[in-house]
Amino acid sequence: MDPRDDTVIDVRHVCTRFGAQVVHADVSLTVRRGEIFALAGASGCGKSTLLRELILLERPASGSICVLGHDLAGMGEEEARPLRRSWGVMFERGALFSSLTVAENVALPIREHEHLGERLVDELAAVKIALAGLPPAAGPKYPAELSGGMRKRAALARAMALDPELLFLDEPTAGLDPLSATGFDELVRSLRDNLGLTLVVITHDLDLLWRVADRVAFMADGHILGVGTMKELSTSDHPVLSQYFHGPRGRSAWDQAWKAR
Amino acid sequence: MRAPDPLGREGAPRVALDGGVARFSGCWTIGRVGGVERELARLEWPRDRPLILDASRVTALDTAGAWLLESTRRALARSRHEVSVAGLRPDHEALVAMIRARVADRAESVRARSKGALARVGELAARSIRQLLGILGFVGESAFAATAVLRHPRRLRWRPVLHNIESAGFRALPITGLLSFLMGVVIAYQGATQLERYGANIFVADLVGLAMLRELSPLLTAIIVAGRSGSAYAAQIGTMKVTEEIDALRTVGIAPFDLLVLPKLIALTIALPLLVVYADALAVMGGMMMAKTSLGVGYADFLDRFEHAIDLPDYLVGIGKAPVFAAIIAVVGCYQGFQVSGDAESVGRQTTVSVVQSIFLVIVADAAFSVAFSYLGI
Repeated sequence: MDPRDDTVIDVRHVCTRFGAQVVHADVSLTVRRGEIFALAGASGCGKSTLLRELILLERPASGSICVLGHDLAGMGEEEARPLRRSWGVMFERGALFSSLTVAENVALPIREHEHLGERLVDELAAVKIALAGLPPAAGPKYPAELSGGMRKRAALARAMALDPELLFLDEPTAGLDPLSATGFDELVRSLRDNLGLTLVVITHDLDLLWRVADRVAFMADGHILGVGTMKELSTSDHPVLSQYFHGPRGRSAWDQAWKAR
Repeated sequence: MRAPDPLGREGAPRVALDGGVARFSGCWTIGRVGGVERELARLEWPRDRPLILDASRVTALDTAGAWLLESTRRALARSRHEVSVAGLRPDHEALVAMIRARVADRAESVRARSKGALARVGELAARSIRQLLGILGFVGESAFAATAVLRHPRRLRWRPVLHNIESAGFRALPITGLLSFLMGVVIAYQGATQLERYGANIFVADLVGLAMLRELSPLLTAIIVAGRSGSAYAAQIGTMKVTEEIDALRTVGIAPFDLLVLPKLIALTIALPLLVVYADALAVMGGMMMAKTSLGVGYADFLDRFEHAIDLPDYLVGIGKAPVFAAIIAVVGCYQGFQVSGDAESVGRQTTVSVVQSIFLVIVADAAFSVAFSYLGI
């Protein structure tokens, strides 16, 4: 596949099992270049597992996954290295390295993959920290000294360190107060608009889905129930979908509270 | 747009200064800008005319390239050049504009500043003093909690006490036994060559008995237990602190001290003397075996001499030290566990510190005992 093709991620007939438990029965979806693609669904429906398969942390039992024109099946570590370099991942709980400062966290992938002068690396780390919406004073702090919202932004800064063309965000707004979450929405959109990123976002956050996502895939019980814009999904008459989108917000709120724990 | 350039070196970023116009060309992306930053720094900008940074031939730009462009512009503006950027493609323009708007005027080095030697010495001293005071405070707190439990024995949690006796005492039996046995062998072996020279073979019983029972057994056992259990205490409490379990205990009305510290303290004070008794026995066995093989002193002769050589006080002195060592290990281990702050690395650091400190304090205490006993003539 030509890397300039419009399709960035192509997932076909993926099945995943953990022992007897079937996580994905038959999942297929495509993500196009430059869009913000959201994966929604209840907790435990297999969203995070799919994400882990997309970023080569886990392998599906069957089916094929193509990311940026590379087939992930049977890919060795050596081949995966340039691919890993071209995407950034922001984990749900940040996964910042606790023994490094925020600036060192951001600089780590740059130092690992590029041969740049010390000064430039430091400056680039500062640029990413600023782009993620953190004050410069956050740079020399350790992750333990940051609030939850700041930690998310620091994780985003690290995910963007190598100017990836593809960015994966796992629950970017979970555990944030509404104001920070709104700020994060805008941040995500401005990154896409200005850097031309493709974003894959896993979220429960209905606001994020409505305000930011171009297309949404809704997962339940290992299947994709629907893919489309939020408008299309919310007018779907599938019982699960309409319950999710039209039911009382209790469910979403409950999930939020549980995640925020 | 930002895909890797198939032409390879053709797209390398370049900057050429021509009069007042710096022409930027090629791929200004993070993977490519490695050499060009130095090139940029070497340029000699003319002072006598307005400068133009012409980016019209830039084929690809990401935040790294945009930052280089923008930081060059800023540096020139700071040194009072008249400077403008021209020819950016609209999408590049938007990127540069975002960086201009978001990144504060000087994205200076954001690394934590390193401190001078004097400041570090001072900090180390202050930290050591704080540590000492902290341990003293913790000892006081332990004593306070212990007396409170003595007054209301029903408040003591027996289950964790028994569990700790099992894990710190019973499970330590194999390693303690083996090492003590070997220690007895080594002592007897070292003594053998000297004693043989004077024909004083039988005194190997005195040597092994006094050295092991009075000094080495308690010390060896304490060091093993500090390594096995003291570190485990620090790691357990430290991890619980990181995961906020300690706070959770407080909120459900359980004093972490009662649940986490006191049972360990009591359990270890019971288990360590018992371990020392066991270690004594095995050390003497090791000595006996060595006496027989290398000195020709039979088991019966050895035990006969042993009875005369070792008085009850010698034995009790060794065992009597054990509860003190146990208290030191438990208190230091738990204290260092509570000193953990925030991150995973801190758990490891405090665990190491707990082992080093408890072994250090055990040996200091042992020396103090020796001095005290020699004054008392025991």
